[in-house]
Amino acid sequence: MSSLLGNIFKGWSDYTKGNEEGGHHDYEHMYAMVIDLDMCTGCNACSTACYAENNLATVGEEYFGARQAMHWMRIERYFDEPNVGEAEADTQSRGASFLPMMCQHCNAAPCEPVCPVAATYHTPDGLNAQIYNRCIGSRYCANNCPFRVRYFNFYDHQETAWPAPMEQQLNPDISVRSKGVMEKCTFCIQRTRAARNTAKNEGRAIRDGEIQTACQQTCPTSAILFGDLLDETSAVHQAWKRHQVQLGKYAQNKTNPELRGYRIFEELNVDTKVLYLERVREV
Amino acid sequence: MSKTKINRRNFLKVLGLGGAGAALAGCDMPSTVTLEEGEEKIYSYLAPEEYVIPGVGVWYASTCLQCPAACGTHGRVREGRVLKLEGNPDSAVNAGKLCQMGQAALQAHFNPDRITAPLINGQPASWDDALALINEKASGGNVAWMTGTVSGHQRVLLDAHLAATGKGHHYAVETVNARAWTDAGKTVLGDAMPTLHLDKAKAVLSLGADLLGTWISPVTFMGQYGKFRAAPRGVLIMVEPAMSLTGANADQWVAAKPGTEAAVALGVGHLLMTKHGLSLNGMPNATSAFQSMTPAQVHEIAGVSEAALNKIADTLVSHSPSLVIANASHAAARIAMVLNIMLGNVGKTLTPGASIAADPLAPMMGSSKDLAEFAQNAAAGKIDAVFISGANPAFVAPQGLDMAAALKAVGFKVAIATCHDETTKACDVVLPLSSALEDWGTHVPAYGGKPGVVHLQQPLMEPLHADTRGLGDILLTLGKSAGVDGLDAFEDYYGYLRTAVSAMIGSELEGDWHRVLQAGQFETRAASRAFSAGHDVALGFSETAVSGLHLVTVARQGLYDGRHANSSWLQEAPDQISKAVWDSWAEIHPKTAASLNLKDGDYVRLTTASGAITTRVFIYKGVHPNAVCVPMGRGHTDYGRWANNGVNPLTIVDAHLGDWQSSEIIATASLVKIDAAGENRHLVRLMDTDQQYGRKLVATIPAQQFGRTQGGA
Repeated sequence: MSSLLGNIFKGWSDYTKGNEEGGHHDYEHMYAMVIDLDMCTGCNACSTACYAENNLATVGEEYFGARQAMHWMRIERYFDEPNVGEAEADTQSRGASFLPMMCQHCNAAPCEPVCPVAATYHTPDGLNAQIYNRCIGSRYCANNCPFRVRYFNFYDHQETAWPAPMEQQLNPDISVRSKGVMEKCTFCIQRTRAARNTAKNEGRAIRDGEIQTACQQTCPTSAILFGDLLDETSAVHQAWKRHQVQLGKYAQNKTNPELRGYRIFEELNVDTKVLYLERVREV
Repeated sequence: MSKTKINRRNFLKVLGLGGAGAALAGCDMPSTVTLEEGEEKIYSYLAPEEYVIPGVGVWYASTCLQCPAACGTHGRVREGRVLKLEGNPDSAVNAGKLCQMGQAALQAHFNPDRITAPLINGQPASWDDALALINEKASGGNVAWMTGTVSGHQRVLLDAHLAATGKGHHYAVETVNARAWTDAGKTVLGDAMPTLHLDKAKAVLSLGADLLGTWISPVTFMGQYGKFRAAPRGVLIMVEPAMSLTGANADQWVAAKPGTEAAVALGVGHLLMTKHGLSLNGMPNATSAFQSMTPAQVHEIAGVSEAALNKIADTLVSHSPSLVIANASHAAARIAMVLNIMLGNVGKTLTPGASIAADPLAPMMGSSKDLAEFAQNAAAGKIDAVFISGANPAFVAPQGLDMAAALKAVGFKVAIATCHDETTKACDVVLPLSSALEDWGTHVPAYGGKPGVVHLQQPLMEPLHADTRGLGDILLTLGKSAGVDGLDAFEDYYGYLRTAVSAMIGSELEGDWHRVLQAGQFETRAASRAFSAGHDVALGFSETAVSGLHLVTVARQGLYDGRHANSSWLQEAPDQISKAVWDSWAEIHPKTAASLNLKDGDYVRLTTASGAITTRVFIYKGVHPNAVCVPMGRGHTDYGRWANNGVNPLTIVDAHLGDWQSSEIIATASLVKIDAAGENRHLVRLMDTDQQYGRKLVATIPAQQFGRTQGGA
């Protein structure tokens, strides 16, 4: 019990530290992402790749309609463009706005301190992780997530999602979640683990680009970048730097405010680790 | 990524043993056990083979057959099972990327509704009985084949079988095709498949060609699109009646009345001549066609404003080199080709294509013309027997073609298929086909590959069902019984293919064969083409009905023409535009909805001259007020447990309305009547709002700002 309380207190202390000191820089790695919304075509390849990689259950029309789908990576689609004014009245003249939305792996994640059993926590890789075995299904975390990217297993989907022989496709590197458990995007932690072990066996550091998330690897336009924010040579670090977006801030102070990088709901001070690059249109 | 050199047959044998290993390292094992360093040693593997390490995935190269583009793939194989597909980074077609249909090839393979044994008149039978019956009924007379797009050595064997059986014809059926574009390329420039350089173009005008979604080779084009959008950023303009994935990504999306893209293209040419002083040397026919289509007429015919037309012409001139592509109609595609000549794009963003020198391997690309011809010939009693594989004529044919009667008129029908569908149900014999991930083959990409490169398809897994056979093996068996010369030397298709490939790469060495397997492709002689001087063809706009409501059937990347409707991933993948799942819908403009007093989720009955369907409406501004857009793919009746939902708009397309100077069935020409059907039910979608409510979710900035910062590159 004491270790459980210890976890909770540590979670709270990390949370406040994240707020006060601008992120957790005592991590070994801090995996982060960059998504270029001007390159994203909204084709949905990332989402289906995620279903294949992460044993995501399909739930069918009824449960999907009840907001009980399991799409860790989903493509939201909007038809308004608040920053460039109203589109023409009768026609959708500048197309649609697509937003790939997955767990933002907040450094000050609102889901973490509310878990009564510390099933969700931050890994030394800077990831927001979910321990399925510990989860009791209180759903406080999902309730507290501003991005609505935590998915609860209201039912067991094994029989309907993977009728034989489909269970043979399940990725053995990660578990199949059952009823009563919360799940979410892990930034493909199984791929991180595999790369970490390979690097360790070869006695070297993980190279930038060595770990690709499933969504990044399949993205036909290469709109997604993934890597270690603490590695100053990484493409992700460079992109965050170029776009003058810093962790631990709820408002950026850019010398060039025209740079495209921004974080969603930055003002909530949850310190997300997904940098979006603004969509562009001829106006 | 480890690519171990191994003996292929040994590999398959080994995979057969892998079942025991699969039981040990079951899928419920948490990742930490199998992946922590050294932990894999705790497994006592029953018969450890030289390269199979429990818990370690090995990648094998193969080819994706989910659409005709033939992208290169890598399949992750662990404990004898294929778990995940990625793009093959060495393939020039897709450069390591896959679309969602490619990702879902796993579900086509592991599908719970696979056919596992041969059927004669619906009853399980042995291969021997089935083949004996085929020999009896389909050895002489007019024996036809119907397939999708087919290339490589499967095509060689198929052609040989056709030649040996007599006077039959090969019908290649693809509802989603680029026939308009390839015909226009051939007519105007003498090259059916010119190479497009999106990444070099500063502006792209597309007339109904959904290059990011379903056109020719979407992953190739999306790869180029990523570069097109880097600084200096290219401008994308789309003209179409209902928004496609490409339209959704356009800077300027222009709604044209269904079937009037050709008029818009002529209007653009008119402005290029009159306003920007461009001309066409030695093409008086084209020149007069452009001169006679004034912007005012375009506005009247297509409903596109003069301002929008001016903006298109101005952009094409100020962003040179540009690129004009089209797939809306043969007329539009021809005009697009001529516009490229006028804009000086030929040789810059549009260059001659190249393909494999070995012509018998070249892709035979499908069309809907072949579907109509098959129906006509079959109904006229000209076809005695037909083999159908990779096509579902009973599903994609409009009611006007009366495919049911046409199939009935064919005396003997053999379906070679992985899953039951509407067509297998109508066939006398059904042969169970291996999945694409269990089969051997060679495929020549119709577009986007390195010239002369052939993609190799190799099994990623031991067959799931023992009684299934590969397409090549079936073709080989049929060829042998038809008496094709030289086939008796080969015991199986693997032996045939290996000999054929060895001959093509000029080496019979084991090591060279393994290199081909590892690369998933091999290079052979290419034949490059050249453009002829622009042929001054007649350009015109066919005056089909341009008033009234038209049914517009479109394909979306996902369910495609319906062949992927038996995938639960793709059924549950929200449609890119409407975000709907698991059911059909009809997209209509708010004005159309208001005039009929319809609201989102209302059921409507759509009636054309050919029939009627009932579905729900989705109301938004991405369709022309004259269009009712129903995506195809749903409405199956016999395609497994996941496909029985929605409606099939293809059935009510008027089949007799051929496109201008072609016999393609056009997807936009059917007049449609829309009536409220009374009911309303919520259309299940990913999200029920289209608005951001002032939150900065997807922020959009003007292109000028992007230019000032070079996009932060």
